Amino acid sequence: MTQPLLAEYFPILVFLAIAGGIALAMVGGSLLLARQKPNAEKLSAYECGFEPFDDTRRRFDVRFYLVAILFIIFDLEVAFLFPWAVSLGGIGWFGFLSMIAFLGVLTVGFIYEWRKGALDWE
Amino acid sequence: MGGITEMTIGLAHYLTVSAILLVLGIFGIFLNRKNVIVILMSVELILLSVNLNFVAFSAFLDDLAGQVFAMFVLTVAAAEAAIGLAIVVIYFRNRGSIEVEDISTLKG
Amino acid sequence: MTWTLALPELVLAIAGLVILVAGVLPKQETFFPVSMACIGSLLLAAVLVLGQPEGTALGGHYVADDFSGFMKLLAIGGAAIGILLSLDYNTKEGLGRFEFPLLMLLATIGMMVMISANDLLSLYLGLELLSLPLYVIAAFNRDSARSAEAGLKYFVLGALASGLLLYGSSLVYGFAGTTNFDRLADAFSADSGVTAGVVVGIVFVIAGLAFKVSAVPFHMWTPDVYEGAPTPVTAFFAAAPKVAAIALLARVLVGPFGDLAGQWQQVITLVSLGSMTLGGFAAIGQRNIKRLMAYSSIGHVGYALMGLAVANDVGLRGLLVYMAIYVAMNLGTFAVLIAMRRKGRAVEQVEDLAGLGRTDLGTAVWMAVFMFSMAGIPPLAGFFGKLYVFLAAVQAGFWTLAVVGVLTSVVSAYYYLRIVKVMFFDAPAGALDPAPASLTVVMAASGLFTLFFVLWPAPLLAAAQAAAAALLG
Repeated sequence: MTQPLLAEYFPILVFLAIAGGIALAMVGGSLLLARQKPNAEKLSAYECGFEPFDDTRRRFDVRFYLVAILFIIFDLEVAFLFPWAVSLGGIGWFGFLSMIAFLGVLTVGFIYEWRKGALDWE
Repeated sequence: MGGITEMTIGLAHYLTVSAILLVLGIFGIFLNRKNVIVILMSVELILLSVNLNFVAFSAFLDDLAGQVFAMFVLTVAAAEAAIGLAIVVIYFRNRGSIEVEDISTLKG
Repeated sequence: MTWTLALPELVLAIAGLVILVAGVLPKQETFFPVSMACIGSLLLAAVLVLGQPEGTALGGHYVADDFSGFMKLLAIGGAAIGILLSLDYNTKEGLGRFEFPLLMLLATIGMMVMISANDLLSLYLGLELLSLPLYVIAAFNRDSARSAEAGLKYFVLGALASGLLLYGSSLVYGFAGTTNFDRLADAFSADSGVTAGVVVGIVFVIAGLAFKVSAVPFHMWTPDVYEGAPTPVTAFFAAAPKVAAIALLARVLVGPFGDLAGQWQQVITLVSLGSMTLGGFAAIGQRNIKRLMAYSSIGHVGYALMGLAVANDVGLRGLLVYMAIYVAMNLGTFAVLIAMRRKGRAVEQVEDLAGLGRTDLGTAVWMAVFMFSMAGIPPLAGFFGKLYVFLAAVQAGFWTLAVVGVLTSVVSAYYYLRIVKVMFFDAPAGALDPAPASLTVVMAASGLFTLFFVLWPAPLLAAAQAAAAALLG
């Protein structure tokens, strides 16, 4: 029957309801309680360096690519930190030092991109 | 309603989805005639299908090696995507276009 | 902990990181000192490989034996000479940035990990550590549209290849329950009934690796990348990574999948036949000599794979000897190609060699030696490389392979000998610039090896014999 399948997904429904409730409460609370003093800058959407409303196929600065490329590497390599941190008790000094060595490699990469000027916008 | 029989998501379902993703990725590389970025996305799609396979097998076999493998694939894929994007940027600087049909200076 | 077994890789990795920091900190360009430091580290790693004990380490992910030692020395030698070849060219072409030798060093670590891989995971990591620097150096000439295009093509097809290889690995893992080579071998020898999933997985793995060794039908990228990339990069591509990929293919197929030889021997036979045939015929019409060498390398991979298709100790010994000789004569040939400059500009057409015999006899003679050797004319080294694989194929009853091998050798002799004819019998097209000392040394060294291998083949044969025995274990 359909019952067990639906029951399995019941927590998701609860989760959706809670998420919606919190979002509504935050927006509504801000509308009711905060002081409203709008101006043109405040009302425009926050974007880093773009016009908020523009053609989606507009070209944008190639330097954004560089930032994205550097970000994606350092962001994802950190994924190894989580299992390492959780299992730190069981992996001993070898496991601990392996991660230190890994972080050392990342640091060398960081020194390289710093010296190459990849972190300067201009 | 004839009554829906209880459905459990088994290994075969995961493998099917993953095979579909793999085929989509391969077709995305070979049939795409417009933009190189789409090719990069197709490559990611292939790697995701692999990850899905690994995680599904890992759960099915009750063996952690597959999830560790998936983790490594994920991070290496990030490095690969970064290098791919960098090469695309170099290419664009030289040619002023990233249309797939323009990539044909070298042939013979 | 047995991690000290992986000392050569560790030392090379630490050296790479130290050199990276030392290279980027000074204000001025550090291309030359970094190149020297990279060659030095590679030689140090070679010494460490020579003194490496046998065994497995790192939780069964890493294995060191005679086979890995043989292949690693070959790969390290190819990489060190590759850096040496790039010194002069890169300085003259404005590519003298210190990242170049360093990327080659990192790729070499990847090769060593690949050669020593004893698990699908370390196989994949080694392969990617090899591939990622190669994508970058293929596109190293940032201001050349051809180099960028070569890098882009190599990246897209290489990424597809590693995707296929991974998909195959995931299937093998899922249907055999492990990624470790030793346990995979146990799993396949225990129950004779192999599931279809495993066979599909193996086919995917072979396809992924065939991309990396540029064997037919996965060779499409080779001519374009070889032509577009800067010539020292092409020289590097044609030597060291090919050794590592062939080593990996041999280790995977003979090790964990050794009991399934019946399943993959036909695939390798077909791949070998296709590569030999394409290498023989497609190069005939080529006028760009780098493109010609690309097809030639496809053909050579076909001959080498003949040894793997036979899959016994004689065949594997032939494969190893073939790769060693191939690397030596290929590096010599590329030393000549890199030296091809006229009035300060690099030239790369076959006609540019015209009359070289009259304008620069030394270079022309070495080039002729390499061409005769590649064509397989006795008593040069290339003849013996082919002889050992052909003998193995005949002994094991692979008559088709041997006959097609001989026929395509005859066909390919046409374009090798055409280069010799252009050099000695055509009217000079204007003198080439004199070759710098670093290139002359490489030409002479590999030329002498090619010439005199016949007098002293025993050490190489013995080493290859031991390596093949270690692989079959």
